[in-house]
Amino acid sequence: MADQRSASVLSVDNISLAFGGLTVFHDVSFEVKPGELVALIGPNGAGKTSVLNCVGGIYQPLQGSVRFGAALLNGLRPSRIAALGVARTFQHAELFAHMSVVDNLLIGRHLGIRSSFLGEALFSRRTRDEEAAQRRAVEEVIEFVELERYRHEPVGNLSFGLQKVIGFARALAMNPSLMLLDEPSAGLNREEKEDLARFILRVKHEKGPAMLWVEHDMQMVADLADRIVVLNYGELLTQGDPAVVLADPRVIEAYLGTPA
Amino acid sequence: MPHASGYFRTTYGQDTRLVDTRTQRVAAGAFICALIALPWLANPFVLDLANQTLLAVVGAVALMLLTGFAGQISLGHAGLMAAGAFCTGILSKELGASIWLTLPASAATGALLGVIFGLPSLRLRGLYLAVSTLALHFIVIYLGHEYETRRGFSTGIVIDPPRVFGWELVDGRAWYVVFLIAAGGTVLIALNWLRSRTGRAWRALHGREAVAEALGIHVPLYKLLAFVASSTLTAMLGCLFAYYRGFVSGEAFSLFLSIQYVAMVIIGGMGSIAGAVMGAVFVTLFPYGIEWLVGLVSEALPEMRGLQNAVFAINYAAFGLVMILFLVFEPQGLAGIWRRVQAYFLMWPFKQKPLSGGGK
Repeated sequence: MADQRSASVLSVDNISLAFGGLTVFHDVSFEVKPGELVALIGPNGAGKTSVLNCVGGIYQPLQGSVRFGAALLNGLRPSRIAALGVARTFQHAELFAHMSVVDNLLIGRHLGIRSSFLGEALFSRRTRDEEAAQRRAVEEVIEFVELERYRHEPVGNLSFGLQKVIGFARALAMNPSLMLLDEPSAGLNREEKEDLARFILRVKHEKGPAMLWVEHDMQMVADLADRIVVLNYGELLTQGDPAVVLADPRVIEAYLGTPA
Repeated sequence: MPHASGYFRTTYGQDTRLVDTRTQRVAAGAFICALIALPWLANPFVLDLANQTLLAVVGAVALMLLTGFAGQISLGHAGLMAAGAFCTGILSKELGASIWLTLPASAATGALLGVIFGLPSLRLRGLYLAVSTLALHFIVIYLGHEYETRRGFSTGIVIDPPRVFGWELVDGRAWYVVFLIAAGGTVLIALNWLRSRTGRAWRALHGREAVAEALGIHVPLYKLLAFVASSTLTAMLGCLFAYYRGFVSGEAFSLFLSIQYVAMVIIGGMGSIAGAVMGAVFVTLFPYGIEWLVGLVSEALPEMRGLQNAVFAINYAAFGLVMILFLVFEPQGLAGIWRRVQAYFLMWPFKQKPLSGGGK
């Protein structure tokens, strides 16, 4: 058991969350192994995004522990968790609308930038070289997600579909070892979803971070996920291989209700 | 701002340059030459106006960093200037300190007050934060008054002109040089922060704090940093202002001064350093413009001579009106107007930029 734990990138053990008397979820446990793409599914209000928020430090679980490799994430602030190598995307993209695509991605590089406050005030040679190096790193991400033509466009001018891709790229720019994807395909059309699926697979194969992925599109989940974790009304319903989980009568019931 | 066609960047370093086409370099050079030549062409009155404007530029840029970029509202700007001015007045009165001591001491006072002014921002937002900064404004002014009355300078502290490298700074032209360096330096430092990590972090936490935090930005730290940076610059401005006037008194730092700085930031255009500069010029020269207009009217129409006596009231009213007009009709301020003018000439003969994908 101890060996297994150290082998996983993320291990969530019996975490519970409640706001006052409202239980969001309780006793949820699952693991994400290196390089694994784990889908977290469940009907609306099942607590999926709240689980992501507990991993990312935006919420603190009332009970249980969240471990990232050997590090205990409970009680750490989100920026600290990000510094350990956890990046996330948001359901509504949450980009900085007035800033260009490049600047948004440079914000994703924040933790990787080595320059001092005073050096920046004078834009010293070191700061200048560092900025150019970061700009290059961002350009690689831009190329990866094929956003070259929008590089200097303020992201507020771009379509929602593109914004979601930029949000994904911003998380990618952080060079994470765990990515938390919150409904990346919500609000995208068919073509954009196919692009996104391609990017997710390319990231998985070429960059190799583990991914915990909240998703509503069952087709995408069935096609891409290595493993599925199902939440229903704050309870862990089941987890395992996609083919098995998606055929599970309890999962079908949770989504479609009991037959009349 | 997009460039006209035919211009392509070929290195990543070019993306961070402040001026990168030849036209921009020539324009910037000509502007700097004009600024350097100004004191030799201007009469003392115009020179004093220029000096006031340059001082306002320092304050407006400092406030723009805090409010326009980091998104933290502050009504404590006059209080911070007062802190720098009193620090200068007290040190030169009590210890006979030179400007080489008072300027860094003012900066340190400003930085310390920045932390104190900034702490409420970790909990409060918007109007509530504004009120907490207002409270600190009154505390600083109170402490200043207390010093004045206790030491018997109840009409204000008189300070001698400073000596810099053997020069005594009394002449308007000498001050102009000092202020030009101060304003230019402030603008440059602000632009440098904004094109590197710190400035991006400020803009990010202005956007959404929770998102900034998830991207690895330590939000409380960067908020405090914004307050400290802005307060340090403002307190140094207070120090220079005290020397320029040769006199420190609490009355000079009224709440109206804070409002004027907020007005510079709003009229200039939130989130633009050029806007802060334009706002500072506009707000500083505005009352003189109104006075001149009132003078013209009362000369042309003798029956309107009574206006001369009401020039202060007219000034306040006109200032309020201009604020409202900008808030309603041009929320992006003078910087927004400037951007539109630029776009008009860039796009001509077309009216609009093609929809996204034009890139550059």
